[in-house]
Amino acid sequence: MNVDTIQGYAGGDKGEDTILLTNIEAIPGKNIIEHFGLVSGSTIRAKHIGRDLMASLKNLVGGELKGYTELLSESRNQATRRMVRQAVDLGANAVINVRFSTSSVAQGAAELYAYGTAVRVE
Amino acid sequence: MNYTPRLPGRNHNVTEVSPLRELAVLLGGLLAIIIFAYLLLGLGADLLVSRISPATEQKLAALLSSHYGKPSQPTPREIELQAIINKMEQSGCVDLPYPVSVHIVDSKTVNAMALPGGYITVFSGLLKIVRSENELAFVLGHELGHFKHRDHLRGLGRGLVFAFLATLTGTSESAVSQLAIKAVQVTESGFSRSQEAAADAYSLHILNCVYGHVGGATDFFIHMPKKLDPGHIGHYFASHPENKKRIQALIALQRKKGYRSGPLIPLPALKKRAVKEKKSYPSPR
Amino acid sequence: MTDLIIILTLTALGYFAGSWAEKRHYLSIREREKQLLHLPAITMKDVPYPGEAVRSIHLAAGSAVISIDYFKRLLAGLRNIFGGTIVSYESLLDRARREALLRMKESAPEAAIIVNVRIETSAIGKYSSKRNIGCIEALAYGTAIELVQR
Repeated sequence: MNVDTIQGYAGGDKGEDTILLTNIEAIPGKNIIEHFGLVSGSTIRAKHIGRDLMASLKNLVGGELKGYTELLSESRNQATRRMVRQAVDLGANAVINVRFSTSSVAQGAAELYAYGTAVRVE
Repeated sequence: MNYTPRLPGRNHNVTEVSPLRELAVLLGGLLAIIIFAYLLLGLGADLLVSRISPATEQKLAALLSSHYGKPSQPTPREIELQAIINKMEQSGCVDLPYPVSVHIVDSKTVNAMALPGGYITVFSGLLKIVRSENELAFVLGHELGHFKHRDHLRGLGRGLVFAFLATLTGTSESAVSQLAIKAVQVTESGFSRSQEAAADAYSLHILNCVYGHVGGATDFFIHMPKKLDPGHIGHYFASHPENKKRIQALIALQRKKGYRSGPLIPLPALKKRAVKEKKSYPSPR
Repeated sequence: MTDLIIILTLTALGYFAGSWAEKRHYLSIREREKQLLHLPAITMKDVPYPGEAVRSIHLAAGSAVISIDYFKRLLAGLRNIFGGTIVSYESLLDRARREALLRMKESAPEAAIIVNVRIETSAIGKYSSKRNIGCIEALAYGTAIELVQR
């Protein structure tokens, strides 16, 4: 059984920039040549006390909590980036059937997990 | 669709950072910020306190003491203690902005407190230990020293700041808030110890002025149960200096000012209790 | 004074014991990942084999609970004040999920592929109340497909 382990595959920024991400089963108009299994990226970020105080104040007047929105979207971006890096490491150029999952494992921290199947399409 | 088995080169989901370095940076930063904020706010509290006039202080105290109920008739021992305070005031040795009264609280604690408004609280555990009027006068003089330097008000201001900082860090992990509180306590204790030393010195001057000598000044520290002495290491975390240091400071001051030693006046109640008194000291708690 | 000593002792214990446990666990994970590399797990729903080739399918699942140590909890608490990525927690989550995936694969040794894999994570344990940071439970499940032997 041939196991091909690539040490430090340098997909580089180019690979990351052009990767395709979808949450459907295939890329329309392209063929899937090979797949590399599951790839995932996770992150856990905490907000600082400043945002905490602003949030408590906002609890009184209502409105969008911009601080938290930023925090969560940064988390999502970082999780996706990590997943993409792992996919590029394996030699993929697309990740299909991407799923996000969040869980509250700590108060005041946003934990985000992105996983999908790394494939090479043409 | 083929499957090509490959393993990623490195783990992208974990940041490669030395946890010890992270701990040092975060903890150091937090403690520095807290101590700095505490000192700043403490300074502010100090400035505020010096603006409170004695009249305002008495009004404040009246508000607080209304919680404790109406004062009852002074007991014979309270009259004795008050007599010592009166002796000090009448001799012209003590210059206080308002009249001072003494109250005894029945408790095994070996301590005395100076409260705003000119109230000294003495715990009965302390009365069991003192053996002469001079020794008792030293303790009362020490509390008068706190009034003179307005330490009791500074303590209030600092206490509020301290409680505020404690709740701020208390919103996060409890271990962190414990460490932060310890750091603040150490800083606070430093101030407190210098206040205690100043009150000790003031009391020595009063003793010399009222009685003509300073005999009995260090007796209290000698009679204090060993358990209550902060000790050499506990010194840095305690609000009062180590007993040995206090005795040494007083002896040094005595030599510097050329105060003499002299005969001690026994307390009247001691004569009656002499028969029943046991050799061992009562435990404070 | 004594509670300061207790905190320091627990922190040191957490650091040394925790790092040792983590290293061992990662070694075991990497080893088993190499061994189980022949069994792919994908998130796609499509079964990539024709009906006649499939012998049987079953739901494969694996889960793991990794607990936090005192040192990591202290670090996370500090991070909660300053903000940023909670590095001490990342390795916990990573280990839990990889372990869950491996156990899922191990529960289907005869399978050719596991499809529609989903991963769920949650905090459980004594310290999982709102204020504190708890233990991590990761669950991975998917449909394992066994093929007719040629």
